[in-house]
Amino acid sequence: MRKSFFFFIALVVFSNVVLCNTNGLYSFSEEEKLFKPIANIEIATAEGEISLSDLYDKSPIILVLVFTRCTGICSPLLSNVKENIRQQQTNEKYKVLVLSFDSSDSISGMLQLAKRYNLDEDKQWIFATTDRIEALNASVGFNPVWDSTSQQFDHEALVVGVNGNGYIVKKLNGLRASSDFRSLIKEINSEFVLSYPLPRKNMLFSCFTYDPATGKKKISVGMLVMLLPVVLTLLVVAGLATIKRKPNE
Amino acid sequence: MASLSLKKITAVWIYTILILFVLAILMGITMRFTQGKTISVSPIEFYLLMTTHGVTMIGIWAAAGIVAVNYLLARYIKVSTSLNVFALVFTVISILMLWASTFIGKFHAGWTFLYPLPFHIAWETWATPMFLWSLMVLSVSWFIWTLGSMVQILKKYSLRQSFAIQHISKKSPSVETPPLVLISMVSLLGMVVCFIAAIILLALLLAEYYSAGKFVNDPLLIKNLTFFFGHTIANEALYLGLATLYELLPEVSGRPKFKTTWYVALGWNCAIIFILGAFFHHLYMDFVQPKGFQIFGQIASYFATIPSVVVTIISIVTLLYNNKIKWSLVNLLFFIGLMGWIIGGIGAVIDATISNNIILHNTLWVPAHFHTYNVMGNVLFSLAFFVWVANEFSDNNDLQKYNKLVMPLLMVGGFGFVLMFYWAGAYSVPRRFAMYPSELSSGTALASAAAWFACIYLVGVLLVLFDVLKKCAKVFSSSSH
Amino acid sequence: MEEHKFILFLFLSAAVLVAGIFHFLYSTTLNPPSESEGLQNPLKKRGFVLVFMFIVFVVLLFVTVPKSPYFLFSNETPAKVVYVNAQQFAYMMSYKSIDLNKPEIETDVELPLNEPVEFRVTSVDVTHGFGIYNSKAELLIQTQAMPGYVNRLRWKFTEPGKYNILCLEFCGSGHAVMRSSFTVK
Ligand code: HEM
Ligand SMILES: [Cu+2]
Repeated sequence: MRKSFFFFIALVVFSNVVLCNTNGLYSFSEEEKLFKPIANIEIATAEGEISLSDLYDKSPIILVLVFTRCTGICSPLLSNVKENIRQQQTNEKYKVLVLSFDSSDSISGMLQLAKRYNLDEDKQWIFATTDRIEALNASVGFNPVWDSTSQQFDHEALVVGVNGNGYIVKKLNGLRASSDFRSLIKEINSEFVLSYPLPRKNMLFSCFTYDPATGKKKISVGMLVMLLPVVLTLLVVAGLATIKRKPNE
Repeated sequence: MASLSLKKITAVWIYTILILFVLAILMGITMRFTQGKTISVSPIEFYLLMTTHGVTMIGIWAAAGIVAVNYLLARYIKVSTSLNVFALVFTVISILMLWASTFIGKFHAGWTFLYPLPFHIAWETWATPMFLWSLMVLSVSWFIWTLGSMVQILKKYSLRQSFAIQHISKKSPSVETPPLVLISMVSLLGMVVCFIAAIILLALLLAEYYSAGKFVNDPLLIKNLTFFFGHTIANEALYLGLATLYELLPEVSGRPKFKTTWYVALGWNCAIIFILGAFFHHLYMDFVQPKGFQIFGQIASYFATIPSVVVTIISIVTLLYNNKIKWSLVNLLFFIGLMGWIIGGIGAVIDATISNNIILHNTLWVPAHFHTYNVMGNVLFSLAFFVWVANEFSDNNDLQKYNKLVMPLLMVGGFGFVLMFYWAGAYSVPRRFAMYPSELSSGTALASAAAWFACIYLVGVLLVLFDVLKKCAKVFSSSSH
Repeated sequence: MEEHKFILFLFLSAAVLVAGIFHFLYSTTLNPPSESEGLQNPLKKRGFVLVFMFIVFVVLLFVTVPKSPYFLFSNETPAKVVYVNAQQFAYMMSYKSIDLNKPEIETDVELPLNEPVEFRVTSVDVTHGFGIYNSKAELLIQTQAMPGYVNRLRWKFTEPGKYNILCLEFCGSGHAVMRSSFTVK
C-alpha cells in the first residue's frame, strides 16, 4: 500500500515536471521557408572555401546569422546560442555555423569574434563569411535592413536549423529557451517534434516563466499549485492512519 | 445491521436517484430523437440537455454506489446516518444549482466543460459561475462524504487491514477483511483523490473567472486535471457497484460468502494504481502531451482491466458454474450487469489503443463503450441493490416473484441502444453532434433506432422503479425494527 | 478488411463470445449434474487467465504502439505545410503561418497526392478538433486544436478527391456545423 502510494506520487510529480516543460516563445516569421532547401552557397572559413552542402552532407547545421559591427542583438544572441548548446547533453551530431551577413566583414574579423566567445578551438563551431549572402537570406527568409544613420543593420535574431538534406526544418527567432533548442536539434536530426507552444499572456500558473531578456526560465508559483493534489492526498492518508480504533464495537 | 434511520435515508436516496434517473433518460431519448430528426430541438437546447444529462447521470450513479456500500457496510461497522443526510442535502442543492445554470442560464459546455469553453460565454453570464459553483458544492460535500465513509471503516479496521494487506503477506491472518470493506476502501480512496483534483480544477477556473483576465490557465494542464477527475470518478463508481456485487450476489444465490484471499487483495490494490493512470487516453489526440504519457496511457488502460477482471470473473465463475442457483431479479441484474461491464470494457480497450483511437476518438464509439458499462453495467448493479434493499424494507423475502418482462426489456432496450452507438462510432459518426451532416446520414437513421431502443429500456426501468418505490415507502411507516 | 469495418467486427465478435460464455454459465446453473462440485482448481484457472491476458496485452502493445500517429512519416520532409487556425465555428487555412492581425486565408487548399503533407493545427479561442474525412465519409486521421499550442499532423493522401474536415471536439452550439474541406490532386 505505502509503496503503491509513493509510486503514484512520483508519477504525478513527474507528470507535472514534464507537462510544464513546454513553454517557449514564437513569432510568425519563424514559419516562413520551412521545408524549403537552403541556398547552397560557398562560404569562407578558417580552413578555406567550402560549400554549404559539404557541411550538411556530413551533419545537420544550426545556422546563426550575425555581423561583427553589431552593437545590438548579435552578441546576446551568440551568448544565448552558446549557453543553450552547452546545456544539451546529447550525442546528436550537428555543427553550429556562425555566418556573417555583412559583406564588409572579413574572415579574420569573424575569427576574432570566435575568439571572443572562446569558440575558436571548438570543432563544433564554424565561423564564416560569404559573397552570396543575398541568395542565402532569400532562401531562409531573412531580411536585414541597413540603417545609415546608426550605421547598423536592423535585423532579427535568427537561428536556422538545416537538416542533412539541406532543408530548413525549424527556425528560432529571438533569444530562446533551452527547450526550443532541444526541439531544434531533434528536428535537424530528423526527429519529429509533434508540437510547439505559442506565446501567451498572464499565465501566472504556468510552471515556468520565461524571461526574454536573459533567455532563462524561472520556476513560478504554478509548480506549487500543481503539487497540491499530491500534498493534500498525502495529508489525508497521514491523517487517516492516526484514527483511533474501537475494534470491539 | 442498518439502523432504522439509515434505512430511511437510504430510501430517500433511492427515491432521489431513481427520479433523477428517469428524467435524465428522458433527456437522453430527446437527444437521440433530435439526432434522428424525429423531433426538432435547437442546438443550444440539445447541448444544455447533453450537459445536464451527463453531469446528472455521472452524479447519481456515483452516489448510488456510495449509498449502497454505506448501507451494506453497516453489517461490519458503525455507519453514520447524519453523514448520509448531509451528503443528500448538498447533492440536492448542487443538482438544483446545476439545473438552474443549464435550464435557466442556458449553460451548455458539456459535462467535461473543457477549458476555455466555459469562459466563451454564449449563455447568461451568471450561468458559468453557477455551474462551476454547483460542481464545487458537489465536490466538497462528496469529498467529506467519501472521506467520512473511510473514517467509519478505519474506526474498526487499521489502515493496513482495510486494504487487506495482511491477506497478501499471510495465508490465514487473524483479522479477515471482507471483500466489501476492501473494495469500498480502494474505490473510496480513488474518489477522494479525484475530488481533490476536482476542487483544485474548479478553484483554478473560478480564479480565472473572478480575476477578469488578469490570470489565465494553461489549457493543457486543465485538460489533464479535467480527465483525471472525470475519468476516475466514472470508474470508481463502477468499482463501488462491484463491491455490492461481491457482498450480495453469493447471498441471494444461496452460495457461501466470498472471502478475501491474497489474489483478491492484490488484484484490487493494483487496480487503484492503474486506474489512476488510465485517464491519459483522453489526451491521445493532443500531440503536445509528451509521447511517454501517451504510451503509458495505453499500458495503464490495458492493465487496469487485468486485476479486476481476472479476480472478479473467476470468482463469479467459481460461484456459479455447475451449481444450482435460485435466480431472482437481484442476481440476474448482477449477472447481466457483469456481462455488460465486460462488453463495455472490450469497447474501451479497443478505443484505448492509440492506433485505433485516431479514428475512434470523439466519435460515437466513446459514448458507446461508457454507456455499455453504465447502462448495462453499473446501473444494473445499483438496481440490483435497490431491489434487494426494497425487499428487505418490505419484509418481502420472496425474491423469486418479479415481473418476468423486466430483464428482456432492459436487455433488448439497453444492448440495442448501445449497439447503435458502436455502429455509428465505427463508421466515423462524431459524438456531441446535435445533427449529422448529410454525408453521415447513417448516423441519423441509427439515432432514431437508438431512441426507440432507449424507450424499451425505459419501460424496463419503470417496472423496477414502481416496485422499488412502493416497497421503499414501507420503511417510513414502520416505527421500529 | 477495411479498418473501420474491422474494428466493429472485432468488437461484435468479442461481445458475442462473452455473451455466449455467460449464457453457457447461466445454463449450467439450471440443472447441474447432481454429482458435480462446481469449478475445479479455480486458482490454477485464474493463473491461466491472468497469464493469457498478460501475454495478449503485451503482444497487442508491441503491435499497435508503433502504429501510433506520433510516429507517422516522421523522417520524411513534407512537400507542403498547411497552417490551420480553428475558431468558433470555422477553420482558417493557409500555406503560410496565420498572423491574426493580417491573416492571408486560402479558400481552396490543394494538396499533392502520394506525398507527405503537414498540418499545423491550433485554435484561436476554445479547444476544437481537426478530423479529416475522405470522400466516403470515413475518418482517416485527426488531431486536437488547442489554444496556445500547435499540433503537427503528417499524412500522405493516396487517393485524389475532396476531403472534408469536421470538428471533433465539442466547441459550443455551432460544433456540428463547423467544417471545411480541401482537395487532393
Ligand atoms: C437509456 C439511458 C440513456 C440514454 C438514452 C442516453 C443518451 C445519451 C445521449 C444521446 C448522449 C449524447 C451522445 C452524443 O455525444 O451524441 C449521452 C451522453 C452522455 N451520457 Fe447518456 N444516456 C443514457 C444513460 C446514461 C447513463 C446511465 C449514464 C451514466 C453514467 C450516462 C452518461 C452520459 C454521459 C457522461 C454523456 C456525455 C455527455 C457529454 O458529452 O457532455 N448516460 N447520453
Ligand atoms: Cu469546433
